[in-house]
Amino acid sequence: MRGFLPFAAGAALALAAGWAGFPYFIYKSQPQPVDFSHKVHIEKAGAKCDDCHALRGDGTYAGLPSLDKCTSCHAAPMGTTAAEKRFIDQYVTPNREPVWHSYARQPENVFFSHAAHIKLAGLKCEQCHGAEGASTGLRAYQQDRISGYSRDVLPVAGWRRARGMRMDDCIACHRQHRVENSCMDCHQ
Amino acid sequence: MGTTRRDLFKLLGGSAVGALFTPAPWRLITDTALWSENWPGIPRPGSGEIRMRYTNCSLCPAGCAMRARCVGDQPVSLAGVKGHPLSHGALCPWGIAAHQLPYHPARLRRGPVERAAAAAADAIALCGAREHVAVLDLRPGRTASWTYRRAMAAVPHGLYIATPQAEWAFDLAAARTVLSLGAPLADGWGTPGNVFAARNTFRLIQADPVETRTAGFADAWLPIRPGSASALASAVAGEIPIAEAARQTGLAADHIRGLIAELHDNGPSLVLARNMSPEAMRANVALGAPGHTIVGRRETPVPEAWRKSAPVTMLDAVPDGSIRVLFIDESAPGDYFPWSAIAPKLANDSLVIAFAWTNEGYGRHAQFTLPAPVFTETLDDLPPAVDAVTAVFRLTLPLIAPQAVVVKPLEFIARLAGLPSDEALHERANAIHKTARGHVFTPGDGATTPLKSLSADNFWKALHQGACWLDAPCQGACRDLVLAGQEPLRPATQAGLPLALVAGDSTGPPLSSPLTSKLYRESNLRQPANRVALAPETARASGVASGARAILETVAARLPVTVAVDPGLPPDVVRVAGRAARALGARGKVVPA
Amino acid sequence: MVACAVENNIPAVPENASDRKGITWIRVYKINNGEAWPDCRTAFVPVLCQQCGHDTPCAHVCPQQAVDVDPKTGIVGQMPERCLGCRYCMAACPYHARYFNWWDPQWPPGMEKTLNPGAAPRMRGVVEKCNFCLGRLHAAEERAAAAGRREIDPADYLPACVDACPTGAIQFGDLNDPASAPAEDANRPESFRLLEKLGTDPKIYYRSKRDWVRRIASAPRPAGNEDRRG
Repeated sequence: MRGFLPFAAGAALALAAGWAGFPYFIYKSQPQPVDFSHKVHIEKAGAKCDDCHALRGDGTYAGLPSLDKCTSCHAAPMGTTAAEKRFIDQYVTPNREPVWHSYARQPENVFFSHAAHIKLAGLKCEQCHGAEGASTGLRAYQQDRISGYSRDVLPVAGWRRARGMRMDDCIACHRQHRVENSCMDCHQ
Repeated sequence: MGTTRRDLFKLLGGSAVGALFTPAPWRLITDTALWSENWPGIPRPGSGEIRMRYTNCSLCPAGCAMRARCVGDQPVSLAGVKGHPLSHGALCPWGIAAHQLPYHPARLRRGPVERAAAAAADAIALCGAREHVAVLDLRPGRTASWTYRRAMAAVPHGLYIATPQAEWAFDLAAARTVLSLGAPLADGWGTPGNVFAARNTFRLIQADPVETRTAGFADAWLPIRPGSASALASAVAGEIPIAEAARQTGLAADHIRGLIAELHDNGPSLVLARNMSPEAMRANVALGAPGHTIVGRRETPVPEAWRKSAPVTMLDAVPDGSIRVLFIDESAPGDYFPWSAIAPKLANDSLVIAFAWTNEGYGRHAQFTLPAPVFTETLDDLPPAVDAVTAVFRLTLPLIAPQAVVVKPLEFIARLAGLPSDEALHERANAIHKTARGHVFTPGDGATTPLKSLSADNFWKALHQGACWLDAPCQGACRDLVLAGQEPLRPATQAGLPLALVAGDSTGPPLSSPLTSKLYRESNLRQPANRVALAPETARASGVASGARAILETVAARLPVTVAVDPGLPPDVVRVAGRAARALGARGKVVPA
Repeated sequence: MVACAVENNIPAVPENASDRKGITWIRVYKINNGEAWPDCRTAFVPVLCQQCGHDTPCAHVCPQQAVDVDPKTGIVGQMPERCLGCRYCMAACPYHARYFNWWDPQWPPGMEKTLNPGAAPRMRGVVEKCNFCLGRLHAAEERAAAAGRREIDPADYLPACVDACPTGAIQFGDLNDPASAPAEDANRPESFRLLEKLGTDPKIYYRSKRDWVRRIASAPRPAGNEDRRG
């Protein structure tokens, strides 16, 4: 029993570090450049998802809207929050594009077609991206220090959703719906 | 008892086993693999909305239409415009990669602009009575060319040197038989897209010393001796006996007789040459080409006020030693004048300022080389190519901001003369619009609209979206064509150079994207400048073997080269890369290194 | 060749590299009829991945399953991210149509802005080859999906080489569609495939009226014309 104690202690320490400490250390947290509230825009401005996140004419998807979408309403302050004032001072007035951190950024060699998933498969945004529409602010962007991908794509224990956006997650859904063709459908 | 080392090892062992049950080690492996796939050394393409913009290429006189696929404002790939009346959707390899030119490492990024301007002003002031200030324009006919002419009229002793623009053009679509005396129809002549589009309507007979790309592309190849093309032209014109032509070219007399008969019987015929010599022109007249396959072409309209400008002077007509200040505009490549033809015209202590993309061209001989903008960074217009049967007007548009500290040659020279230069293009467009002739092709929708139905403003806007104005055909208005032909500049030569230099392929523009190494270095599709090819017996006679290092001696230079042996070459000929052939002259010698 | 390099972000190799280390997914070979001047004749044969359909050699030998033959389009796809660089596939390919990245892609400073977003740049140590411009196929599929269609419009998808060829020497189409021009041309008597006797069922058909070109295409070994360089 006595001999077993250091072993057990080591194991317990490692388990604690691995499950509680590791997720804390492996991710670097960065705030988004603008403290944007989806809820305010949906409720007060009556916007729908695809007013800003829409399919373009050629079939590609404008995931992150560009500054001109914001300035079409926010050329002048529309509310009283400090966040909006900061946005106008730092981005609208100098006409500078905010450098958003994309939660769902995939590697270069992945080809994902929003058009195929929205129009042909009829998926809803929340099924992959979570209920962003109800959020009151933008959560911090947690980026893996080594590989550079976000926690949404490559999750580790203790995350809000068990499923990330790794290839296994795509394949699980594709297998379920029997839409499997070839590697090159998604890789380029 | 205390903690022993054994306890420590047990602790570590327990940690290791425990760690295996956490996500940490597995995640670290995955992360490292992912990092290695995307490490910072690998560049990432831009992302964003893809837009199409239309412009015209300015790397050679053809001026083919281009569709630029842009991410935001940055072009990421270029393609031809299918259905375009001039270029028919074709783009050459240099044009396809032209969007990379602004970032080329060999490009000049800054230059002594102030010093050059001061030196030019001083030198102009010091110009003697019989001395001149001259602009050498390699692509005449542009609006910029007219501004140079007006500037040289405003500057005392100003001279504008260029090849006079022809008032006629070759109509390939109207020809049924074409005899080409070394004109590289398949490799950079006229507008390549036009040649290929018209190809099925005529029988092409190529006369070339070696089997060039065009000779392989043609319906028949006449293997003539180097330098004997003018003899063949004279025979076709009926000026020399066929036996004499047979002796000079090395062809059988019957063969030449059959050729001449074919040209007369299967008309309309056309004789083309690399440089349209007087003999080739007379051959065309003998075949009845004027009015059929050589058609008159009006000049693209210019405002009346511009007519009072310096006349076009040919380089030959300039007295020796009379140029004190010479500006060379290399940013619109076209005609080629070897330095040996220019140098005698310069006075002692003359000042030469070249506007170029690199130091490798005339910059080697100039006192100042100022960086010029690459065509995707600047607004300019393009004169019609030699096979455009009507006058045209199209612009090359700035797609991105200049990536270097550039000076536009037009502005520099106009400022010296005190002329404004930015409104010139708009004035010319207005002059064209006033004629109410012709129609406008818009690449975005492929539509052709008569010019009359567009307002001047809409015409100017359409030009800025890549549209092209095509004049109405000339027909009766220019019936009396004066076909003079142009004496080729006789390159300097010296004795003791037994081999004739033959160009293996086309020259290409002065600056080309690194990707063209695919053609020269990463494959053997085109001949690089440091390689020459000899026939087996010629190689033996010169004392070199295949793969050996040798020196190519010419009047202009001694080049270290590698030798390739090619049984497909005639004896006493050395085949060099196109770009080199132009500068080296007509004869050479290969000696072991 | 240059259009292919522009479309697929293929870099130029370093200065000291030779044509054996260059990466040209489509390489135009110059062949000749072996005669001396003036009877010599040349022809140009573009060789790209032949997209072998039967017992695809490279897919067969890859230890990483980095090569995948798409059952729907017949395109043999190479996944550089799975490749470990053993180059077994390069040895297996009878057409020498596979190329190895000896170096990391080096672009002059600033020129990486001109990279095409449709193709991912590859790192060093992986093999790459023609994939019929999958980036363009994906873009065509996306356009079709945005319009609600599952099948692409055939005229919407052309690889870069076909698009760029100014004489129309390269044509592209659906071999299974008997009405398409390439399917018709494939059945003509002058049409042939390279090294047909190997039985790899390549999908690239060549056409020439000249006998000597056809003979070289089936030749068991090079005709000793290696000196014809330059």
